[in-house]
Amino acid sequence: MKTLLSLIGPRVRSSLNSLTRGNRKNVWSRLVMFGGLGLLFWAGIFMIFYRVLLYFHSVQDFGDILAMKFVSMIILTFFMLLLFSNIINCLSHLYLSQDLPLLHSLPVSANDIFFSRWIISAFDSSWMILAFSLPVFLSYGIIFHTGIFYYAIFTTVMIFMCLIAAALSGILVLFGSKVLPAGRIRTILILLGALMMIVLIFVLRFTRPEQLVNPDSFASVVLYLNALKTPSSPVLPTTWITDAILAALKNDRATALLNAGLVVTFACMLVFISSMLARNMYFPGFSKSQMTPRRLFAPLRYKGFSWETLLNFLPRESKAFAVKEIRTFFRDSSQWPQLFLMTALIVIYIYNFSVLPLESYPIKTIYLQNVFSFLNIGLAAAVLAAVAARFVFPAVSMESEAFWIVQSAPVSIGNFLWIKFFLYYIPLMMMAEGLVVASNILLNVSDFMMLLSVLTVFFLVPAIVGLATGLGAVYADFKSENPANIVTGFGGLLFMILSFGLIALVIILEAGPVYTIFMADVLGKNLTALKILWAVLSFALAIFLCLLATFYPIHLGRKRLTVK
Amino acid sequence: MITLSELTKDYGTTVAVDKLSLTVNAGEIYGFIGPNGAGKTTTIRMMGGILAPTSGSIVIGGVDMARNPVEGKRMIGFVPDRPFLYEKLTGMEFLEFSANLYNVRRGLFPEKAKRLLQQFALWTWADELIEAYSHGMKQRLIIAAALLHDPQILIIDEPMVGLDPEAVHMVKDILKDLAASQTTIFVSTHTLSIAEDLCHRIGLIHKGTLLAEGSLKELKQIARLGEARLEEVFLTIIKENTFL
Repeated sequence: MKTLLSLIGPRVRSSLNSLTRGNRKNVWSRLVMFGGLGLLFWAGIFMIFYRVLLYFHSVQDFGDILAMKFVSMIILTFFMLLLFSNIINCLSHLYLSQDLPLLHSLPVSANDIFFSRWIISAFDSSWMILAFSLPVFLSYGIIFHTGIFYYAIFTTVMIFMCLIAAALSGILVLFGSKVLPAGRIRTILILLGALMMIVLIFVLRFTRPEQLVNPDSFASVVLYLNALKTPSSPVLPTTWITDAILAALKNDRATALLNAGLVVTFACMLVFISSMLARNMYFPGFSKSQMTPRRLFAPLRYKGFSWETLLNFLPRESKAFAVKEIRTFFRDSSQWPQLFLMTALIVIYIYNFSVLPLESYPIKTIYLQNVFSFLNIGLAAAVLAAVAARFVFPAVSMESEAFWIVQSAPVSIGNFLWIKFFLYYIPLMMMAEGLVVASNILLNVSDFMMLLSVLTVFFLVPAIVGLATGLGAVYADFKSENPANIVTGFGGLLFMILSFGLIALVIILEAGPVYTIFMADVLGKNLTALKILWAVLSFALAIFLCLLATFYPIHLGRKRLTVK
Repeated sequence: MITLSELTKDYGTTVAVDKLSLTVNAGEIYGFIGPNGAGKTTTIRMMGGILAPTSGSIVIGGVDMARNPVEGKRMIGFVPDRPFLYEKLTGMEFLEFSANLYNVRRGLFPEKAKRLLQQFALWTWADELIEAYSHGMKQRLIIAAALLHDPQILIIDEPMVGLDPEAVHMVKDILKDLAASQTTIFVSTHTLSIAEDLCHRIGLIHKGTLLAEGSLKELKQIARLGEARLEEVFLTIIKENTFL
């Protein structure tokens, strides 16, 4: 036990040190900011569930059935999420962390290392789901007027559900690492996870849930209820968890305690089995993980022609960076799922416009089409900001410890940042313009709106990419073990706030003049000189803001990265 | 070829390098030795353009690094003490990347890269990702990349760390050959035997200050030692804090 605590100690101390040492003011301000956001999100979940359950509860018979079905769906979703995040975390903590060679050189048993890492992995994978399951089940407790018994049962089964998922993941990972090196398993799992997510997005979207709000198709709601049936075999732990919570909700103590008992004993048994297996299987698996797997895909060449020649138009040093960036990006398997998800979301985005029931609204269609088109500029820019946050913001930090190569190379930091900027600017410009043009074609908007959308996006793309590149440089972290995740830090949050602020400002500046021009066109009236001046000034200010966002953050980034 | 004048780096809490002045001539191998935390790596990082000095100047091949760092870096082959590289590139791709940044003539690159990779025993690994390389292989790859553009000045921090005896021998021979062809070489090292074997002149730095400088023979005189090894000279000078 003492060894186990000693092995967990560095993790706990590192977390405490990051709070108590260094720039305290900075750390606490981040903590307050993220804590506040978390609390808001928590309160939001509570409000939504409370309102939905209140509505369900008010519908006689049918409402309570739906509320109960909801519990089984939530439990199954939480369990799948826990299982997936535990497997990914187990692989990282047990086989891939940089400090593992040091730990294995210490005079401690492999079993102790396994358990200390398994506990950390279980905590990392579970705390967020536990925290955000609380408002969900709290709203159930309030709506169904339960007592302390329900909360005790809910807390117990939720904690042991996390343990079951963690122990199952540990066992799966132990077996998996016997067959394949851990790095390869993680790649395959990440791909499978992304694939599952994409299939889920497509299935959910193409079932067209918006039809369920249409009273004409009420029969399909009954069918929908049937479809809500979740796997409920009596041998599945999710069934015991669901049954325990449902019984506690109805104050059926005997059933609740029986199912909670099943959950607790099953969790303990799994932890014991994983401990037994780890004794014999952990170290051989770790040893195997130290080998580098062969490359998954061979380089893309056709009869001596390679894709790099397509970049020959670039200046030599820019091409060198471009080729390096593209190669490292596509060879990093953690980037692939993000790309797949992004593609899926774009397809869904465009599909949404193709199924808008414009003709069924009483408002004049031409007006509605153009309002949608105008809002679409903001939506496309928001998608762009999210993509930039994930891919462009971490681009400078992705150089990681190899940044000395850039620093010692005969390239100025300014050039380096502009090369990064253009590398992302071109594909993102194509993506954003593609999105607005395709959705505008589906909306059949006027030529003026089409031109306005294309021009606004033309100025917003460099602004958002410049903001992401510049702030990514200002808040660069070259020591991070996972640079792609730096977007979740303070700099990433600042980028999101500033980019959404910029998009909102541009849209607000354009909205007034666009409405005036549009209405004048519809009504066949001429614009007054004052209105023309107003439009020109508004558009000029919007362009100025975009140019400022393009250049100023990169200037700040250059100043931050220039040697000191 | 290398002139450091009154070079100072103040980190706020420590003065890592304090008014360091020295000159290294063309074709000379200059060994920079000193205990841990003496200021060797800080000096090297300032020379390589990775760190800016608090005061003083660095002139590389006649170019002031503060005024024209890009031009200065073009002349330098830089090898840091820790071999961090782009792990997702292959060895050959990394050399190609370096060649493009340092403007190596396109026609010459394939032959040159092949020769260097063979010389550093990496040819069979040329198309493997760098993440599969050992520490020593990465170190050899960095040295190969630093030599790719035929630099006039080579700045190396701990060149032999992670290399096996055969590679150490090979690198020593390469550095001697380069010096013979008028390349200026600035080497920082802990390994005194390497400095002894390789360097024409040696500078001894301690707590950011250059304590002594000269050939091995001159250093022995400074330390007032007769037939002694560099290790004894080093320890005597450090202990007595003998200044130039």
